[in-house]
Amino acid sequence: MPKMKYLFIKNLLTTTAILACATTLCLILNRFSPSDTHVPLVFVLAVLFVSRFTDGYVYGIVSSMVAVAGVNYVFTYPYFELNFTLTGYSITFGVMLAVACSVSAMTTRIKKQEEVWLEAEKEKMRGNLLRAVSHDIRTPLTSIVASASGIIENYDMLTSENRLELVKDIRAEAQWLIRIVENLLSITRIGEDGARIDKQEELAEEIISSAVVKFKKRFPEIRLSVKLPQEVVLVPMDGILIEQVLVNLLENAVLHGHGTTEITIIVENVGETVSFAVEDNGQGIRESLLPRLFEGTLQSESERTSDSKRNMGIGLSVCMSIVRAHKGNMAAENRKTGGARVSFWLPKE
Amino acid sequence: MEIKDRILVVEDDRRICNFFKTVLEANHYDVLLAHTGSEAYSMITSQCPDVVLLDLGLPDMDGLHILKSVREWSSMPVLVVSARTHEKDKVEALDLGADDYITKPFGTSELLARIRTAIRHTRTGLNQSGQQTGLFSSGGLLIDYDKHRVFVDGVDANLTQNEYKIVSLLGKYAGKVITYDTIIREIWGPNMKNDNRILRVNMANIRRKIEKNPAQPQYIFTEVGVGYRIVEPD
Repeated sequence: MPKMKYLFIKNLLTTTAILACATTLCLILNRFSPSDTHVPLVFVLAVLFVSRFTDGYVYGIVSSMVAVAGVNYVFTYPYFELNFTLTGYSITFGVMLAVACSVSAMTTRIKKQEEVWLEAEKEKMRGNLLRAVSHDIRTPLTSIVASASGIIENYDMLTSENRLELVKDIRAEAQWLIRIVENLLSITRIGEDGARIDKQEELAEEIISSAVVKFKKRFPEIRLSVKLPQEVVLVPMDGILIEQVLVNLLENAVLHGHGTTEITIIVENVGETVSFAVEDNGQGIRESLLPRLFEGTLQSESERTSDSKRNMGIGLSVCMSIVRAHKGNMAAENRKTGGARVSFWLPKE
Repeated sequence: MEIKDRILVVEDDRRICNFFKTVLEANHYDVLLAHTGSEAYSMITSQCPDVVLLDLGLPDMDGLHILKSVREWSSMPVLVVSARTHEKDKVEALDLGADDYITKPFGTSELLARIRTAIRHTRTGLNQSGQQTGLFSSGGLLIDYDKHRVFVDGVDANLTQNEYKIVSLLGKYAGKVITYDTIIREIWGPNMKNDNRILRVNMANIRRKIEKNPAQPQYIFTEVGVGYRIVEPD
């Protein structure tokens, strides 16, 4: 309900302000011109603006009534008296009412179309995500089932090294699945409308160190360094989600960097935001992919080219959803010295 | 004859029970299994296990009820093993007296390490209340409880009083995650509720005094959304 109240106040203020402007304008114009033919025109314009910038029909209609009464009272002879017997009065009123109704109708329709478009866009995102997830899950599951049956059906024929190898594959694939599920769980934390996150002031260094610990467990051989500003950096965020973003970026740097051995995390204060960048020394990101990196549509592309069964599809679009929900943004580029740089930034307030 | 530590596994999923039994027996523990909350109750009281591994999602009750009632009469180590990943669940379990919280899925080595830590805690009596005395040392970090000082590589870290209190509180329960609320209550009293900022700022300052790189700490670790943990003593 507070939203309704807020809308009501906003609309009321808009209406009052526009009508007040129109009145002032007429009073000024009256000084310079003896005729008062412009008065109804100015008010028609005012009614048009009111209908355009408020929600629904009510404000436009009410303001056309107010405008007609006001014009009659203030600007037509006899001044500062109501006189409903003037010729053309009903016409003026009729015109204003028609303007109010038609503009309100148009505005409402435009807003509805915008909503429909947004809904369709969300639906598309959801569809992309589902497609990406199903594909990403099917591949490791196939491999798990195959390896496990391989062991069971050929137990005596396999050497113990062979068996160990297959079991290791099973573990690796299962870990991959865990990664996907953790990303999906993150999405559910953002909530339906993408804006209901629980923000707390967190220390950048704590979120990073926690992500680094998780990353090191999986990739102990990668050299990793962190560059932080000297001062304490507190950022309002959902710490678990931002940690997930960092883990995704770190793992991507290794899994898609093809030969990454070194990663640097850089935190900087940039105006009213704090930026987090993950730089690697791998092969970088294919230029053709850069523009659509965060859309979650890389799936179909890589299926066609069969470039790799693992792709950045889910990880990065989850990152983007999380960062967007924090009212921040993301960017990716290739570094001049080789390797990729993926960064995101979050507002401090 | 070797005396084995006895572990009670409270878990309703047969496959995970099977995994626990295999792995724990291979690592020289006696394993007892309980598949429901009521079974767990009777085994805890009759068998006196050394450690309890507790799943929260049991068919007949919430595992937290078991934790609560055990804590009324015993400080035996209880490790919560759960698929619930929200940090609120972790905080709740830790505040109710769980010794540790292991999120499914987990690795074998991690599980065994945490079990050993929990057993060592009860053996050394670290959980007993009262004034701390003596020294805590791990790597280059030394907490001198008698002098109320913290040294890093032999040099006084010059912690303020509150900073010292935080470090010594973590040291008292080394290896265990202490929740934000618990720390705030212990240091600033019960009226400081929900002021995370002051704790964060103190932690940032402590890290700048005792860690070489605050983003890659060696001594004090963060469990995001839950609390802080200091390394085990040597």
